[in-house]
Amino acid sequence: MNYADYINLAINGLVEGLLMALPALALTLVYGLARFPNAATGDFVTVGGFAGFGMHHLSGSLVVAGLGGAAAGAAAALAAYWLAFRPVMRRPVITLMLTSIGVGFVLRAALGIAFGHEPRAFEMPLQRAMRFGDISILPADISLALLTIVVLAAVFVLLFMTPLGRSLRAIADDPDLARVSGIRRERCMVAMWAIAGMVCGIAGTVSGVRTVIYPDAGWNLLLPAFAAAVIGGLGSPVGAVLGAILLGMLQELATPWTGFVYKIAIGYVVMVIVLLVRPQGLFNRVQKVR
Amino acid sequence: MKPSRTRNQEKQMKTIHSFVMSAVGLAALCASPAFAQQATFQVGALTPVTGAGAPYGAGMSKAIEIAVAEINAAGGAKGAKLVVSSEDSQTAPQAAVLGAKKLLSVSNVKALIGVWSSGESLAVMPLTNEANVLLMHASGAPALSGPPVNDKKLGFRFQATNGRFGRAFAEIAKREGYTKPATMAFNNASGLGNTEGFATAWKAAGKEVVASVVYEPNRPSYRSELQSVLRAKPDVIVTGSYLADTTIILREWYQSGVNTKWIIPGWAANADLIKALGPEVTEGIISVETVSNEAAPSYKHYAEAAGKAGINVQGNAYAAMAYDQAIILGLAVQAAGPTASGTELAKKVHEIGTAGGTQVYTFAEGKKKLEAGERVSYIGASSALNFDEFNDVTPDFAAWKIEKGQLVRKYIVKL
Repeated sequence: MNYADYINLAINGLVEGLLMALPALALTLVYGLARFPNAATGDFVTVGGFAGFGMHHLSGSLVVAGLGGAAAGAAAALAAYWLAFRPVMRRPVITLMLTSIGVGFVLRAALGIAFGHEPRAFEMPLQRAMRFGDISILPADISLALLTIVVLAAVFVLLFMTPLGRSLRAIADDPDLARVSGIRRERCMVAMWAIAGMVCGIAGTVSGVRTVIYPDAGWNLLLPAFAAAVIGGLGSPVGAVLGAILLGMLQELATPWTGFVYKIAIGYVVMVIVLLVRPQGLFNRVQKVR
Repeated sequence: MKPSRTRNQEKQMKTIHSFVMSAVGLAALCASPAFAQQATFQVGALTPVTGAGAPYGAGMSKAIEIAVAEINAAGGAKGAKLVVSSEDSQTAPQAAVLGAKKLLSVSNVKALIGVWSSGESLAVMPLTNEANVLLMHASGAPALSGPPVNDKKLGFRFQATNGRFGRAFAEIAKREGYTKPATMAFNNASGLGNTEGFATAWKAAGKEVVASVVYEPNRPSYRSELQSVLRAKPDVIVTGSYLADTTIILREWYQSGVNTKWIIPGWAANADLIKALGPEVTEGIISVETVSNEAAPSYKHYAEAAGKAGINVQGNAYAAMAYDQAIILGLAVQAAGPTASGTELAKKVHEIGTAGGTQVYTFAEGKKKLEAGERVSYIGASSALNFDEFNDVTPDFAAWKIEKGQLVRKYIVKL
């Protein structure tokens, strides 16, 4: 191992972290407003992946694919909200979580029946990596990283610079105070699910372009994304993104010592340590006890 | 006195009547299972109709139906008609266990056939051992061979073990002139079996494996894993992987721009892989898969019937294995009788599946010879069978090369 190997590992980790960041952001957005960990997040990602794949097949354009993925992800999330989550919204967290697991099952099964289980890849020419000495960087990774950053930036602008974002944050902060201040909760919920769905849909397209699409693809992304969101502090959008990047890089950089089989465990070890030392997450403040 | 005698007579009559009735009832109770056992022999088909095995499961089910129809058309096995109950294993151990339990307890099957992946076979075998029922499968995991899993020797494998796949890989690597191989394997019994089988055979010839990586499946990227293997500058990488991770690995390898060759098991390097990655990336990849017993009359006989039934004869080697499972089971029932225990049937399957007897290629032929009191050896459509001490077969392998987006069969490897 020389320095270039470590830099390559760090680059791989950064890209994996960015890939995890989008579903982690969606998880944290839903958690912030609806107050439950949505286990169907990964399956919204898969829906976005299939839609993006379909749109790319039809149009040949990655931009159209991303828009298609975002639209499908939003549609799936809104449908799940209206049909499954809204009727049980006032029940305990465990009910909502189990509902979300059920929604995930239904989506995965539906995709399996509709498209089969063989992995599919985007039909696009593969580019060779750019080499700087022993360090190699993929042009495709740069564009995907840029796209991810643009999506993250758009969500942050929406959350922190618009009236809608202020309402969303107000509800996340203190639902009762928000309600008495005249914030229309239902409208905010719909907006939040649509945003979370779009983020998932784009994540599906991005990971589909990088890897392959099959009905279980998003499900496999769920646990790392969840760990990232917990490390960053559930409910904190900035924390989710930073947590994902931190987790991705730690996992890859740990491989010279842990080997490849156990690198995933590193994520969970870090999560446990964070929960022990800073239960609210690295980038979250302490929650009020209600 | 009179009335009391009448009462006595009545009592007697009642006693006789109830005795006769219960005797009739008892006889009926005893007779019906005996009758059912003579008339039918229950077979369970536990095939992967959905899940990762779905490309093969439907063909396997059809092949079992073809075989059973042949057996019944020839008058059944020792007078018993074979009746098939089917369950979908969903290529998932949990679902396979549920299906197996149903087949064993509700359908009362005497043999489970058509089981596909190693995970399913490993999960189901304790149940069949417990029930003293045969298990015939097409799984590769070496653990399925000996004790503790198969200590009762009720399990029969119709596919090469992953260890044998590994030996075939080593044979092909040698033949292609490679000197610096590396391995990459999925962290499960099948993946590790392939690459460890390769490494054992390769090192036995006094040669070195330059790097080996074991990875966790279902990752979005395997770039760090690849980087670690490629650092050793191998001239070929031998894999034990499935289709999804192979697609991602090859895509990332091609993008890395490093030159190397690949030897990949046939269930991962197939038409779907070429479709996903295109001809440029896949050019020159060697795909290794067992081949059916193509020169045998049993294969020709099977291929004709299977083709008519819509089975992909060339692309689904597992269907031929499922067909052989049903035929050899029928022959064992013919030899041991439909009421034989699992252990007795297993002994007969082993005997009929090894060399030394008169070679037969169909059930009808075998039945005639068995009735004449001869010892027979069934030469299968999937392989010549020849069960070893662990009830494992050694089929032939074919090396295919991907050339301009087409799988081209190059040569046969016999172990």
